[in-house]
Amino acid sequence: MICVLFLLPIVWMLMNSFKEQRDIMTVPPVFFFEPTLDNYLGNLQRADIGPRMLNTAIIAVGGGLVSILLGGMAGYALARIPLRGAATMGALILASRGVPPIALAVPMFLVARAIGVTDMHATVILAYCSFLIPYVMWLMRGFFLALPKELEESAMLDGCSRFGAFWRIIVPISLPGFAATLIFSVILAWEELLFALVLTSRDATTISIAIVGMASDTQTGADWGALSAVGMLSVLPVILLALAVQKWLIRGLADGATKG
Amino acid sequence: MEKLMPVATMRRRPGRARDLVSRWSFIAPAGLVLAAVLAYPIFYALQISFSTLDLTTFGPGEFVGFENYEKAFRNENFMRSLVTTGIYLILALPLQIILGFAIAFFLNAEWRGRGIVRALFLIPMVIIPVVSGGTWKMLLDPLFGVVSWLLSIVGLPSPNWFGDPAWAMLSIVLIDTWRSTPFVVLIAAAALLSLPKDIYEAAQVDGANWWRQLWSISLPLLTPIIAATFIVRWLGAVKMFDIVVATTKGGPGQSTNVVNLYIYQQAFQSLKFPESAAMAVIVLIITMILTFAFLGISRRLENRF
Repeated sequence: MICVLFLLPIVWMLMNSFKEQRDIMTVPPVFFFEPTLDNYLGNLQRADIGPRMLNTAIIAVGGGLVSILLGGMAGYALARIPLRGAATMGALILASRGVPPIALAVPMFLVARAIGVTDMHATVILAYCSFLIPYVMWLMRGFFLALPKELEESAMLDGCSRFGAFWRIIVPISLPGFAATLIFSVILAWEELLFALVLTSRDATTISIAIVGMASDTQTGADWGALSAVGMLSVLPVILLALAVQKWLIRGLADGATKG
Repeated sequence: MEKLMPVATMRRRPGRARDLVSRWSFIAPAGLVLAAVLAYPIFYALQISFSTLDLTTFGPGEFVGFENYEKAFRNENFMRSLVTTGIYLILALPLQIILGFAIAFFLNAEWRGRGIVRALFLIPMVIIPVVSGGTWKMLLDPLFGVVSWLLSIVGLPSPNWFGDPAWAMLSIVLIDTWRSTPFVVLIAAAALLSLPKDIYEAAQVDGANWWRQLWSISLPLLTPIIAATFIVRWLGAVKMFDIVVATTKGGPGQSTNVVNLYIYQQAFQSLKFPESAAMAVIVLIITMILTFAFLGISRRLENRF
């Protein structure tokens, strides 16, 4: 029952996305109507939706891959390799999760303007690393701590280097963890708004920015059908990803809460 | 033996150096990127906040001391946005935690289809914040929104959700609660499952009623999880920006202008970069102090129970 209550807004958006304008703007609202695909077809052809979806995908997947590679290795180091100052680094990473993004967005914009790298995918990906890498490090650290130590010890006794042990022993058996963490990062990057808003203007803008534009138009023009359709398209990949890793997602969230 | 020792250490030295390199090479790439995109921007913000902005280089110009900070503290709208953020946090966080744990309590009973419900609860959580903003804007629309229609059926007048200052804040809290409560539910449900069952059986034998069990057993055992969930939600909630941008844009007036949005407007619409950098540093410091305070409290609670 409660669950249904939580899902109603999404169902309503889904219905609106298949309605014609006259079916959306009626009192009382209609629940049975002739579905139309116009909202989807019309908006997919609009110049700004397709490329923005593509930008979002490039940036989210790129950010996810970079952060899983760097954050995964660093998380392993924090979990397993005795390092002087590792405890301090751990505390710093935890603290970094409390840094308000606006405190980064203002200087990032100025630096990006100064060196002329605004409106590029790579810039946004790097900016996203500021919150993705700490997140991945923390999740993967917890994951590696749970692995038996003997694994890489025996590999290193057999003459494997630390790198060899990591890539040949640890990575293969941790693939599910890596995959799930990668998907979390992609979801986080997919949903981001502030950095994208600040760092892009035309060529690298993301779907979030397009949706903000459409949502703020609702008062006057009120093209709810378009907003619903584009909204559905933009959340569909994320929902599918989340459902694909739901078991891990819940565990990751719980870990992030209790150990982070 | 004693003569051999120096030879042994000499031989080990290059190996140790290589070992040290191999150790640090795991963490160095991430460290370098974080230094560039996390530490350096904070340093740069500090630098800008103590100077004017040189518009030719977009870098710090003349050093002006604490002038930007003084301006920020004398800026009524900035102060109001801090209060607004505080109001939002005080309304939203306890509501989400209590509601989340309450729902988890009801879901806790063993029943068929629980897995499906759990999966469905994931969906609002991963809805892009700006999309949830847009969706709720449609739902709460005074003319064509479903909520107004439902209220009119029951005979209740529909508030002007986004038009009235007080209701606008409640609407933001409502949207955020819709999106974030499922997260609390999932964590709480996992925590409830891990509670030892025999304690409850013993309590039942001793004649403790439901309320007594909740108050004397469940709450103390759950305190660390509640504290941890609070901290995660706190870290998410202080970033509040997207939902407000997609719905009210801070209005009407300044009633929902949370501090992140206010600084954004000052920087990117009014182009007052040094002042907004000072404000960002102030917010950074406040957030850090509160985060560490909450972490300290949660650790103390963990030790007590």
